[in-house]
Amino acid sequence: MKRLKPFTYFEPASISEAIEILAERGNEAYALAGGTDLLVRMKRGEIRPSALVNIKGIRDLDQIRNEPGRGTHVGPLVTIAGIGNDLRLCSSHPVITEAARVLGSPSIRTMATLGGNIGRASPASDMAPALIVLGARVAIGGTAGKREQSVEDIFSGPGTLRIQAGELISSFFLPEIAPRSGAAYLKIGRREGMDCALVGVAVQITLGEKEKEAIDGRIALASVGPVPLRAARAEKVLFSGPLTEDRIKEVARVASDEADPIDDMRASAWYRREMVRVLSSRALQKALARAEGGKEG
Amino acid sequence: MTIAIDIKVNGEQYRVELEPQTTLLELLRDSLRLTGTKEGCGLGECGACVVLVQGRPVNSCLMLAADANGCDVVTIEGLTMNGALHPLQQSFVDEGAIQCGFCTPAMVLSAKALLDRNPEPVEEEIKEALSGVLCRCGSYNKIIRAVQSAAERTRQSV
Amino acid sequence: MKTGHVGRSVPRLDALDKVTGSALYGFDIELPGMFYGATLRSPCSHAKIIHVDISEAIKAPGVRAVITGKDFPFTFGGSIKDQPFLAIDKVRYIGEPVAAVAAETEAEAQDAVERIRVTYEDLPAVFDPREAAGEDAPLLHPDLGEYTRFGPYDVVPGTNICTIRRYKHGNVEKGFSDADEVFEDEFSAHSVSHSTIETHCAAARYEPVSGEFTIWSSNDRPHRAIRELANAVGIPINHIRLIVPYVGGSFGGKSTLVAEAIAIALARFTKGRPVKATFSREEELTATQSRVAAWMKIKTGVTKSGVLTARKAEVFWDNGAYASYAPGVALRGGLTVFGPYRIPNLELDSRLVYTNKMIAGAYRGYGTTQVTWACESQMDMIAHKLGLDPLEFRLGNGYVENDRYINGQVLRDVGLKETLEKASREIGWGSGRKRISASRFRGKGIATTIKGTVTPTESFCIIRLNNDASITLLMSSAEIGGGQKTVLAQIAADTIGVPIESISVQNPDTFVTPYDHAVASSRTTYHMGNAVRSASQQLREKILQVAATLLGLDCNRLSLAEGKVFEEGKGERMHLDALMSKRFGGKGGEILAEGYYTSAGSPLLAAYSGLEGMSSIFWMYGTHAAEVEVDVETGVVKVLKIAAAHDLGRAINPMTCEQQIEGAVVMGLSNTLFEEFILAGGRVLNDTLSDYKLATARDVPDIVPIIVETRHTEGPFGAKGLGEPAAAATAPAIANAIYEAVGVRIKDLPITPEKLLAALKRKKVAN
Repeated sequence: MKRLKPFTYFEPASISEAIEILAERGNEAYALAGGTDLLVRMKRGEIRPSALVNIKGIRDLDQIRNEPGRGTHVGPLVTIAGIGNDLRLCSSHPVITEAARVLGSPSIRTMATLGGNIGRASPASDMAPALIVLGARVAIGGTAGKREQSVEDIFSGPGTLRIQAGELISSFFLPEIAPRSGAAYLKIGRREGMDCALVGVAVQITLGEKEKEAIDGRIALASVGPVPLRAARAEKVLFSGPLTEDRIKEVARVASDEADPIDDMRASAWYRREMVRVLSSRALQKALARAEGGKEG
Repeated sequence: MTIAIDIKVNGEQYRVELEPQTTLLELLRDSLRLTGTKEGCGLGECGACVVLVQGRPVNSCLMLAADANGCDVVTIEGLTMNGALHPLQQSFVDEGAIQCGFCTPAMVLSAKALLDRNPEPVEEEIKEALSGVLCRCGSYNKIIRAVQSAAERTRQSV
Repeated sequence: MKTGHVGRSVPRLDALDKVTGSALYGFDIELPGMFYGATLRSPCSHAKIIHVDISEAIKAPGVRAVITGKDFPFTFGGSIKDQPFLAIDKVRYIGEPVAAVAAETEAEAQDAVERIRVTYEDLPAVFDPREAAGEDAPLLHPDLGEYTRFGPYDVVPGTNICTIRRYKHGNVEKGFSDADEVFEDEFSAHSVSHSTIETHCAAARYEPVSGEFTIWSSNDRPHRAIRELANAVGIPINHIRLIVPYVGGSFGGKSTLVAEAIAIALARFTKGRPVKATFSREEELTATQSRVAAWMKIKTGVTKSGVLTARKAEVFWDNGAYASYAPGVALRGGLTVFGPYRIPNLELDSRLVYTNKMIAGAYRGYGTTQVTWACESQMDMIAHKLGLDPLEFRLGNGYVENDRYINGQVLRDVGLKETLEKASREIGWGSGRKRISASRFRGKGIATTIKGTVTPTESFCIIRLNNDASITLLMSSAEIGGGQKTVLAQIAADTIGVPIESISVQNPDTFVTPYDHAVASSRTTYHMGNAVRSASQQLREKILQVAATLLGLDCNRLSLAEGKVFEEGKGERMHLDALMSKRFGGKGGEILAEGYYTSAGSPLLAAYSGLEGMSSIFWMYGTHAAEVEVDVETGVVKVLKIAAAHDLGRAINPMTCEQQIEGAVVMGLSNTLFEEFILAGGRVLNDTLSDYKLATARDVPDIVPIIVETRHTEGPFGAKGLGEPAAAATAPAIANAIYEAVGVRIKDLPITPEKLLAALKRKKVAN
């Protein structure tokens, strides 16, 4: 198998140290988190870093911390397995644990991190749609200081973030979810086990006083555009009346229309659009049932 | 550039000097001559390289040896204790869960990681735990039965 | 004699090595002073090599040798000698080896390969075998007529047709006119990868003074591999030694010189130091071998009561750039397009055609898988059109005892009906289509298959009774995962009369273990089993002669069981180790026996005059019944259950038989639903396992293996074979079940969710 080419190796003890090294070396240096994407790209010859900055030695980047009344902070080095197995998150923000549990395989999940997954900015990311429907925000640290923005806005293209060389994701924030909310993440692949999303759909809704009427809701799609896509037009249909079978179908149809997939070796654009329609409908039905069932999120 | 790492493998402590681009898999196979751990793709897509680090399964082909510094690693060679097979190993033999055997070490370790955490798994949980290791000989059903049998055996002996 | 082991699920002899991680595979071979090899491969489908510049590569750190085709200008081939070790003046597929590097480390070898510069001049390329068979197609092998052939393969010089086989029996035109209905359909079976988890790997050492090669390699036919090498470079066979460790799966892929070719060529230039070449997964998926893809046109005549009257088949087989073992597929594998059915009028036109793609070669099923896809899909289409039960339709036309095969060979030990009955009963045949929910439907399907074994072939073995009564079995059947060692040890143990624990089965080493054709064609239990039986009988006789002399008794009064000599009426007289001790004393010695089996000349092969070549020493029958659930909104097919009944003669080890059946079902299911090469102009786009998808533990159905035993008259303890048939019946069983569930017929493999969904939508529109 392909052997990794040599690189200069750093193990910074703090974020500021990491940022300094990354800023100094620019595009030649990469931050190493779980390595499940980075090492693959290096072995395939897609990138040739002259330096790797291993950020796993930095303290406190792997914590999950709840701020009562506001939400939950998730460190970028929290592993996907860590998220999937976290009982608190399972209760407070179930869509993120649902997405984490269908990512990759058990061994990949042990190593992969939330920061690494979002940092990779793949349009097929399972975690991105979940974070988007949660209204998640991300804190980024750099030489110019800290800044914050919504996860939804951080993707600029396939594999690229609105982030400078020398900046590092330092934390994620998941706002607390209102009562009578329900969410679901569904994905479809070519097989049951260990698959990248051919299409992924995350839905979160919050019901109001009137039966089946959503007062809040978001829909996000994976693998049907250059970046994880927020289906804003479909969301509008969500709020246009009670979520009857017909309205659900309409939401799904608009989401399918809104999707912007390409033909590639894995699937055609036509099939992806069809799957957006089918999965949006199914995910919305699930989210509705969970919201009605009284469970949080 | 070389780095020194301290690593415990199968209960034995080692200090190894290596270049930073060395993966955990290369450390195990090349530096420590533990060839029980295999490589099938180098990209984390076949699972043949799975070993346990701090009791959890990892694709050792995608883990830098540096990241195993200070860690406890278990490979297939570490399962036999005083010449006696681990219940999982015995079950794999008894249930006919081994054909060409190339995926066997990774399957056994993946199952161990599951049973150490969840001693009474349902079939779906077993399938999920094994889903990251490919078996081209198609032994999956017998492997699943072997895991169930080992769980049963352990339950009975407790 | 006591049959204590045969028929029992004796634990596999290799299980302990494998489950403890101590088994050494080709992948693990490590030799003193070993270099690592890496390969530069062609980026062009078809091109002249204008210039290869190795000047930068040779200077790279750690490099010991850089070679091109001009340095090692030999060609080899298992069927036709058409394949260079390294491309010499022309490349014929993307991925073809053009140059190779030996270096101190694998990383250094890979780095050096990147520094080699090659200039190519593109030639027109052709990718479809039907097009490539045409007169104006670009020619891959202008010298085809001059290549040495190792079998009765009819090439068509001046074309890309590598093998052509025409066969006629009776008069198909009359058969069609006698029919009430004639069905004409086209099917295609795609190319798939063996995808063994252990990639191709080999180490080679060349001793410059004696000119001898030693090779360590995961290879399923070591004697034929060394013969290929001997024929290629013109050295005697006794100058080549091939040692086979445990093999991490083959399925026909590790059958010729693949990684061996690179290691051997490099070893020639490293002054006696060994070189190891291990293929990456990307090389595995783009530059090794694949299954021979087939385009099939089948015309079948049938009476309205369901009796088959005639079948005409035209098959185009896609060879890829070099012949490898594909000619046999076109020559023999194609014949099973007629299925296990009595059809009085037959015609076959089978053409294997070169194309500018990865080499297609031997793959579990050897052509039967592909034609069974077509045959068994059409059988269901016919049954449905005529309003017949697909099961009854097959039972009505299926072979029974003493029927004649298409060449007149009398068929004996025909378990076909039993497999049909048992598989269909297990699946609960006849329940019809079921609707589970608004979007999910279930259906059941059945398919049956016949496969023979390459006939005639040879197997030899040697058994050594050591001084301490331990036994060493020397034979060249590699343990590729099928339990070869165990089954053969069981046969030996019961035939000699010793406990199986006293037998050790060595890995193949062509200097030591005698000739065997291959672990292929489902032949090992039967052929090597018979050779082992023959040697075991000889050993047993020799032992009893010695015992008779030592005890001063008549040989006929003695028997051997559990490693002890018994006298009739008197009981146990002597242990085997005591016998050896008494016979040889302190100075030591051993007793040697040899065994040999060939199917050549067997009366079972008698057929119509001149057609004996089409006979098989045994025929295997298998039926798969599948239940599937189709999600009509996504096109996803979930296989719920497969009942797989196989007539294998005699289950020497029922557990290993189950392993074969289950394993081949999983492979068949994976081939059918998940696997395909995505090609763009001859380039394989999906060269990793994330995009070439194999079945995982979460994708497998409930599999019920059903063993049917018909006791072959010449097989060891009645055994026939099993390794391949289970790969064939799965695809059409699934397709037939899908048809019952949702009324859609897919004729081109694979059955992907997208393909099925599109077909469902078209059906909806049509209605």
